[in-house]
Amino acid sequence: MSKKIMIIDDDIDLVEAMRITLESAGFDVIDAQDGAKGLAILKSEQPDLLILDVMMDTQDEGFQLAYQLRSSENTRDIPILMVTAVGAQTGFSFDSTKDESFLPVDEFIEKPVNPQALIDAVKRNLPIV
Amino acid sequence: MSKLSSTDFTSFYTPRSLRRKILWLINLRWIATAGMVLLILLAANLLENAIPLRSLLVTVSVLGATNLIYILIAKQVDPSSLKKEMIFVRVQIYLDLILLSILIHLSGGIHNPFYLFYIFHVIIASTIFEQKKDPYAVTIFSVAVFTLMVLAESKHWILHYNLFGSSLSTLSVLISLGVFYLTMFSSAYLGVTLMGRHLKVKDIISRQNKKLKQASEVKTKFFRFVSHELKSPIVAIQSSLNVVLDLLGNELTPKTADMLTRAKKRSTQMLDILKDLLDIMYDRQLDEAKPEKVIPCDFLKEFIENERPRAEEKLITIVEKICAERGNLKLDKFILEKIFSNLLSNAIRYTPNGGTVTIYTSLDDTYWSFTISDTGIGISPIDKQHIFDEFYRTANAKKHEAVGTGLGLSIVKNLIDQLDGEILIESEVNKGSTFTVKIPL
Repeated sequence: MSKKIMIIDDDIDLVEAMRITLESAGFDVIDAQDGAKGLAILKSEQPDLLILDVMMDTQDEGFQLAYQLRSSENTRDIPILMVTAVGAQTGFSFDSTKDESFLPVDEFIEKPVNPQALIDAVKRNLPIV
Repeated sequence: MSKLSSTDFTSFYTPRSLRRKILWLINLRWIATAGMVLLILLAANLLENAIPLRSLLVTVSVLGATNLIYILIAKQVDPSSLKKEMIFVRVQIYLDLILLSILIHLSGGIHNPFYLFYIFHVIIASTIFEQKKDPYAVTIFSVAVFTLMVLAESKHWILHYNLFGSSLSTLSVLISLGVFYLTMFSSAYLGVTLMGRHLKVKDIISRQNKKLKQASEVKTKFFRFVSHELKSPIVAIQSSLNVVLDLLGNELTPKTADMLTRAKKRSTQMLDILKDLLDIMYDRQLDEAKPEKVIPCDFLKEFIENERPRAEEKLITIVEKICAERGNLKLDKFILEKIFSNLLSNAIRYTPNGGTVTIYTSLDDTYWSFTISDTGIGISPIDKQHIFDEFYRTANAKKHEAVGTGLGLSIVKNLIDQLDGEILIESEVNKGSTFTVKIPL
């Protein structure tokens, strides 16, 4: 069975670009436009990996959501990729090599998304079954 | 954006501000004239030795008359130029000094403690003039006139009015004390007035500063917001183009693929501009920087390696003559990286294929410096004057590299200024450029 990837991002075009990329690599893709909808869907669906945008409605909605997911029994083990166009100097600066140690995220990928890089990152972070 | 108040804070030294001081001086002069008349009449009653009453009164009248003329001029003529106001105030101060000297001469010369009043003129002059030489000129003038007067009186070239007799009479003691008290309180008054003005100015400055800071914060926030808002669509455009070009590339005709590649290149350019703009915002906000003790040589290699792939693409040799001596700096590593990487990537971009980029570092008592020298297109002397202007790109650079933001060097310059450093350029068109950055230890 193909793996299910869930994208939570409010930019529908970006979601579409990622969907085409991931589907071309044989993944199933579901999506949600914001954190609340994402949480609702997560009650019934169990994706193998989550792709989260850092900034949605609020500046750090992505981070908040990641914390929430990590603290819940059902979603604790789902790997999270965080997509970000936030450079090191736009406000809350973070260094992806350093901050992963305390951020509840498995890997950061830079926007704009490069298809091959996205596919590689997803494969790298999928749980080995 | 909040508008700054109309208070003129760019210069505290304007014809209008000088006029205000002149009016203050005129008021002081009325008080002095009235006081003088009272004192003369008192002295005429008290002193046994006859004083030259008429000469004294005439002199004081002249003082009053000149003040009347001053106030008429001040009311009639608007303060138009600084130069005219300066002449106006100089005439007043020197005429005052001459009249004061005559009064002192007529009332006992060096035996009359009123000569202490020269001090007020010197203090007033110090507060009115912008340049230091004016108060000193007033001082020298006062000293010279008084010395000449005393000398002339003692040599009997002119009459010495002996008002006090030779012995230390009660009266002369009282007069001396009176003048002393007057001097003390007048000095205090002048000092307090000056301090008041000083504090007022300081207050204006700090209020304006606060407003400027707030305005700048609002601007920065707005800017970040706009940059993010602009970034999102471009990121979506680029991601879509990436998908088409990378995944569906085989289905495209060469012409379509070419046009899409061009579109992608331009959206990359726009994203670069936005990143540069965010960098500029960042260095406007250096209070956020975290200076720490660093040894630049520890990570210079890393910066060079980041740029090396681009140099290899163009078959450019990077020669490193670095870190024979290792300096210690106190700065934010990120800032040094911005400066160094910008200059190195420029050197690579603007050097034709097969060229050489040489990097040196050096250390002396005051600076840690690095130099990046290329065999590139060079900068003309005219372009050199504008090379640090925001959005400026030389014609030569545009010819060589169509895409560029014209922001890199202005970012570099801003950052170096914030570090109190220096940047030097040597360049010859079509031969190459050498950028040297000196950062204080």
